[in-house]
Amino acid sequence: MTPGALIARNLSDGRLRLLAGALGLVALALVARPLALTRDGVAILAIVDITGSMNVRDYAGAGGVPASRLDTAKAALRDLVAGLPCGSRVALGLFTERRPFLLFAPIETCSGFAPIDGALAAIDWRMAWEGDSRISAGLFRSLALAEELGTDLVFVSDGQEAPPLPSRGGPAFEGRPGAVRGLIVGAGAPGLSPIPRHDDRGRETGFYGAGDVQQENRFGPPPADAEHREGYNPRNAPFGAAAASGTEHLSSVREAYLRTLAAETGLTYAHLDGPTGLGAALTAAATPRPVPGRFDPRPALGAAALLLVLASFLAPLLRARGIPTWKKV
Amino acid sequence: MIGALARLSADRPALLLLLPLALLPLLTSAQRRVPVAAIAAAPADGPSRAIGAILRTAGIVAIAGLILALAGPYRRGETLTRTGIGAQVSILIDRSGSMNETFAGRQPSGVEESKAAAARRLLAAFVGSRAHDQFAVTAFSTAPMLVVPMTDRHDAVRAAIAAIDRPGLDYTNIARGLAMGLSQFGPASPATSRALLLVSDGAAVIDPRVQDTLRAAFARLRPNLYWLFLRTKGSPSISDKPAGEDTPQAAPERHLDLFFKSLRVPYRAFEAEGAEAVAEAIAQIDRLERDPIPYTEQRPRRDLAGFAYALSLAGLVILVAAKLGEADLRRTGAPAARPRADASDPARLAA
Repeated sequence: MTPGALIARNLSDGRLRLLAGALGLVALALVARPLALTRDGVAILAIVDITGSMNVRDYAGAGGVPASRLDTAKAALRDLVAGLPCGSRVALGLFTERRPFLLFAPIETCSGFAPIDGALAAIDWRMAWEGDSRISAGLFRSLALAEELGTDLVFVSDGQEAPPLPSRGGPAFEGRPGAVRGLIVGAGAPGLSPIPRHDDRGRETGFYGAGDVQQENRFGPPPADAEHREGYNPRNAPFGAAAASGTEHLSSVREAYLRTLAAETGLTYAHLDGPTGLGAALTAAATPRPVPGRFDPRPALGAAALLLVLASFLAPLLRARGIPTWKKV
Repeated sequence: MIGALARLSADRPALLLLLPLALLPLLTSAQRRVPVAAIAAAPADGPSRAIGAILRTAGIVAIAGLILALAGPYRRGETLTRTGIGAQVSILIDRSGSMNETFAGRQPSGVEESKAAAARRLLAAFVGSRAHDQFAVTAFSTAPMLVVPMTDRHDAVRAAIAAIDRPGLDYTNIARGLAMGLSQFGPASPATSRALLLVSDGAAVIDPRVQDTLRAAFARLRPNLYWLFLRTKGSPSISDKPAGEDTPQAAPERHLDLFFKSLRVPYRAFEAEGAEAVAEAIAQIDRLERDPIPYTEQRPRRDLAGFAYALSLAGLVILVAAKLGEADLRRTGAPAARPRADASDPARLAA
């Protein structure tokens, strides 16, 4: 038999074909370059509520130690930023009183992760410039800010207005619902928890009591049911004679209120369940923005080649055990 | 050498658990099996053994190479410390409401620029003009706010500076701002040149209790202190003595200046009444801050998957060549006639 005929016969061998296929794939993997493709990134403005009620420790942190809403929100945002595809951009702001405060304009999340991470870690309730917590006003202004920056919004808050909203409700949203997409993230547990109180040097001194906070907003006209209150007098006691009582000194996540705000502004509501897991909710709610990505075809080629090589080696073993392979001998 | 090995790593290390699969060629072969009546009839043959060993090795190399390549091996990047010209600059920016007014103390209209906008424009040009500077940005009004920690990512710093002409907040609480601005320096080699750049349009009384804390921090860190005072036209200058009592409450600017002078750190105050003066002040700071600074250079990580694929390719080439060269004893017809010739044939070895 001539060498030519030998090779021609060998070419029809199944295992040779497997190995030759693997050879071709590996050769391809050696020369393959990453393919450029477009991925869906996001551009967000993250606004973090740093008012007093965010200090409530109603999350379980590492090792079961209670963690504050603010710390949990910071950890969740860090996790969120770390999971965004490169090319996504994140701006950060704080909310207290009735307005957001922009810390920085959007930064690319991969090259700028260290500064974003540092800024997130440094967020503290002590940065607050005033004590009020007028969430709807803050949210509406945050939406305007996000629109100006050309980003989506992630607004993290527990939804507790301080002072409480008057009986006729909060201010109405005057913008266009849905002009800015994004998330309202409700931080906190559904049950009531005490709010830590700090002295003027920033040291914790206990919790707020029922008499320390405004329990009812008594500005403006009284609520419709005021007539039935004890001691009601239209001129002298329009809100009734009794002191307001309530649970405003305790805090829970006001999901119903936040959902109303979300519906009013065209945002999506999501509850903050822990220090991770905001990514999926954001991807669903945010505007996808094309960012350049890369696809490396080599692992796919290599995996296929490995299967072919293993098949060529395993075939005799399988056949020896009577397991059918491609060749009927 | 050990250092080089320690820097090896993989993207998907779990795949390395498949490596025992590479021993498969020791158990089996991809060559054709040829029945021989009695293998002992043939004499032990050196070249045959050598070819057998080569084929097994090639099989091991081909499989192991592929598994290694799939695990995504790389050599980690390293951080090299070099020395360049630059400084650690902690920028402390006043975000009180008055920064949004013009130098004439009015709301900006038309071509007029607010103090914050002028500071933003000129500081953005300052950041990034030298590659090895590191910046931190702190904002303060009623409370200090850490905006960006000390970083060499100039894009991030410029993004922070881009936010300073947004509407400001309430008051000017300069003492707490200074404390946070100083805390931004963090641990660094004592040789590093540090600069604290305070940009404000006013001053406030520093509580005597806080003064001692600040003095201690300045003495420890020894930063060069620059105060870029964006003075509104007609408002008191740093050097103006008030007509009445000369107290910090009556002339906070003058007393802040006196406090800074008493710190015994290099200190310059720049009083700017317009954008040109601000530009000039920043150019001067740029000239003054020219000291060697250790900076880190990131060497990128090196992908080693290519080597693993090349290794696997070499093994596969040998295997395929062996498969192509297979001869079958039965079908070639005359095994007895050419025992020596067949002995070196791969088919024989695989049997």
